[in-house]
Amino acid sequence: MNRREFLKTTGGVVLLGGSCAYAVRLLTATTPVPPAAAPAGAATAPSSTRRWGMVIDLNRCRPDCTACLDACSRENNVVPVGDARWDVHWIRKVTVHDPSGRSRDKHVLLLCNQCDEPPCAQVCPVQATYKRDDGIVIVDPHRCIGCRYCMIACPYDARMFSFKESDAWPNKDLPRRSHGVAEACTFCAHRLDRSEKPACVEACERLNVGALMVGDLNDPDSNVSRAIADNSVKRLREDLGTEPKVWYVGL
Amino acid sequence: MDTRYEKVDGTSPQYRLALAVLGGLAVAGFACTWWVSQQGLWRTGMNLRVPWGLQIVMAIYYIGLSAGSLVISGLSGVFGRAEYKPFARIAVYAAMLLLVAALLSIAMDQGRIDRFFVQPFVHTNPLSLFSINPALYVSYILICMVYLWALLTERNRLVGGLAALALGWAIAVHSGTGAIFGFNARALYESPLLPASFVIAAIASGTALMIVLIVALFRLTRRRVDDDLVLGLGRILRVCLLAVFYLLVVDNAFRLYLVGEREAGLYYLFQGVHGAMFWGGLVLLACCLPLVLLFAPRTRRSVRWVVFASVLVICGILCERYVIVVPGLTRPADLFPGMQVIGMQSQEGIVGYSISFVEIVQALGVLSLIGFLFLLGLKALKLMPTEARIDLPLVSVALPEYASDGSARGQVDPARRASLPTGGFHGR
Repeated sequence: MNRREFLKTTGGVVLLGGSCAYAVRLLTATTPVPPAAAPAGAATAPSSTRRWGMVIDLNRCRPDCTACLDACSRENNVVPVGDARWDVHWIRKVTVHDPSGRSRDKHVLLLCNQCDEPPCAQVCPVQATYKRDDGIVIVDPHRCIGCRYCMIACPYDARMFSFKESDAWPNKDLPRRSHGVAEACTFCAHRLDRSEKPACVEACERLNVGALMVGDLNDPDSNVSRAIADNSVKRLREDLGTEPKVWYVGL
Repeated sequence: MDTRYEKVDGTSPQYRLALAVLGGLAVAGFACTWWVSQQGLWRTGMNLRVPWGLQIVMAIYYIGLSAGSLVISGLSGVFGRAEYKPFARIAVYAAMLLLVAALLSIAMDQGRIDRFFVQPFVHTNPLSLFSINPALYVSYILICMVYLWALLTERNRLVGGLAALALGWAIAVHSGTGAIFGFNARALYESPLLPASFVIAAIASGTALMIVLIVALFRLTRRRVDDDLVLGLGRILRVCLLAVFYLLVVDNAFRLYLVGEREAGLYYLFQGVHGAMFWGGLVLLACCLPLVLLFAPRTRRSVRWVVFASVLVICGILCERYVIVVPGLTRPADLFPGMQVIGMQSQEGIVGYSISFVEIVQALGVLSLIGFLFLLGLKALKLMPTEARIDLPLVSVALPEYASDGSARGQVDPARRASLPTGGFHGR
C-alpha cells in the first residue's frame, strides 16, 4: 500500500466512522434531561408530583406598584443596564390600551409562561432549555450557545438574552449572570425547591396586595387550583397549544 | 472537443493587490468579532426584541447563493446540458466557499462563540431545526468537496451521481433553512410557503452570481466564453425570477386577504425600512427590472445587459433576505390582538433595528475571507477552463449560421441545440 492509498483509506474510514457515530448520536438523542447540579441553595430535588402554576389577579394589581419587578431584579441579579434596548426583565409590566375606547386601560404583568409544550425548548439546538419534572422551564447557562432561536420561537416575547453585562450583584447566593446566553423567569425555582415563595409573590404579599399567587396545579385544593376554578380566567394565546401555566383574572 | 482547464497565473500586481485588500478586510472583520464577543452583543445593532440581525441575513443570503451555484454546476451532470460543463468546477468551488461563509456568519453571531463548535455536536436536539441544519450544512460542504475532487480528477462516472446527490442535498439544506423562519408562530414568519420560495430565490440569486462571476473571470483572465452560454444562463435566471415573483404575490395576497393577518401584511408592505427594501429591493431590483431586461428582445441578447440584470438580482435578493428576517421581529408578538401595548421600562410595540458599523465590518470580513480563498483556489486548482464555447459539430452542419459567429439571431433557441446529439464530451 503506497502513501496515497493509505491516506485515502484512513481518510475514508475516519469520515465514515465519524458520520456514523454522529448519526447514531442524533437518532438516539433523548428528550432534555435536567443536569445533575442543582441551583445554589437548593434543598430538595424538583418533584414530579407537583406542577407549578401562577395566577395573576389584575383587579388587585396596583397600576403604579413595581414591588414584584424590583424584588425579581434583586433576587435574580437581573439589574437594568440603563438602556431599554438591552434591559432584561424576567417580569415586566405593560399598559394595554384599547384604541376603540371600549375598555379601560389594563396594567398587565408579563413573564415566562412556563409552557407545558415550550417552543423554546423544542427549538434549542443544544438542549440548554428544558422542562423540569415540576413543569418549570429552565435554561442551563453553561450549555447555551446564545443562538437566540428560543427568542424567535417564543410567542410571548418572554425569552430574554443578556446583551450586556452588569457589574451589580445584589444577591450573592446566586451566581452573577454573564453576557451571551438566553434567560427567562424561572418561577424562582431555587426558592420553590426550598419551600419558599417566588420573590415577586412574596413582595406582593408583603404589601397585602395579593395579586400574585403560585401553587401546585396537581393539587385541586391548592390556592391556584381554587383561583382558576372560582374565577373567570384567561391565558395568553391559548390558541397556539403551548399550554401556558400563567392564568390571568380580570384580563 | 475536450475542455482544458488551467490554473490562473496569479502573478499580476492586480491579483496580489486584491489578495492583500481582501486579507486585510478579513482580519478587520475577525478583530471586530473578537471585540464584540468580549463586550457582549449590545455592540451590534440588535436588541432584545430584534435578536437576529445582519449576520443572519447574510448567512441565509450565502446559503441561497450557494444553492444557485450548485444548480449551475449540476446543469451538465444532472440535466444533460453538456455545454455548461466548463463552469461546473468554478460553480462547485464557489458553492462550497459560500456555505463556509454562511457557517462563519452564523458562528460570529453567537453569544458564546466558544461553545458553538462543540455543544451543537455534543448535545443534539433532533426536534430543533437548528440541530438538523448544521448536520446538513456540514455534510453539504463535504459532498461539495468530494464532488469538486471528482470533477478535478475527471472521474466522469462519479460526477453524474455526485451532482445529483449535491443538488438534492442543496434543496434539503435550503428548505431546512427556510423552515427556520417559516415554522414559527409569528405573524410575519409563519408560512409553509417559505421553504419553497426560499429555494427558488436561492437558485435565482446563485444563477445571477454565476453569470457575473463567469463573465468577470473570463474577461479578467482574457479567456473566451461564448455569449450564448451566458445568455442561456440568463434564460434560466428569468424563469426563476418569474417563480420568485409568483410566490411573492401569493404570500402577500394571503396576508392581505385574511382579516386577522391584514394588519401584519400591511405593516410588512408599507412601513419602516423593510417596506422600502420590499418595494425597492425585492419587487423592483430583484423582479421587475431584471425580468424586463431578460425578456425584452433587445436586451436579452446582450451579455452586457444580462450581466447588469444579474447584478440587480444579486442586490435585490439581499433585500429579500432582509425582509425575511427583520420585519417579523420589529413587529411584536400578538399577545393582545387589536390592543395597543405600552411599556413602562421595556420596549413594547413596534421597535427599530438599524445595522451598526460593527456588523458591517464583520459581514465584510466574512465576504472578504471567501473572496480571498476563491482567488487562492483559482491559482492552486485547475478550476477555469481555457475557453468555454458551444462546440457541436452536428449542429454546425445543420445550422451553419451558428457555427461561424456566437451571436444568436434568435432564429433557433440554443436550448434546442443542446438537446441535439453532441460529440462525445457528455457529462456522463
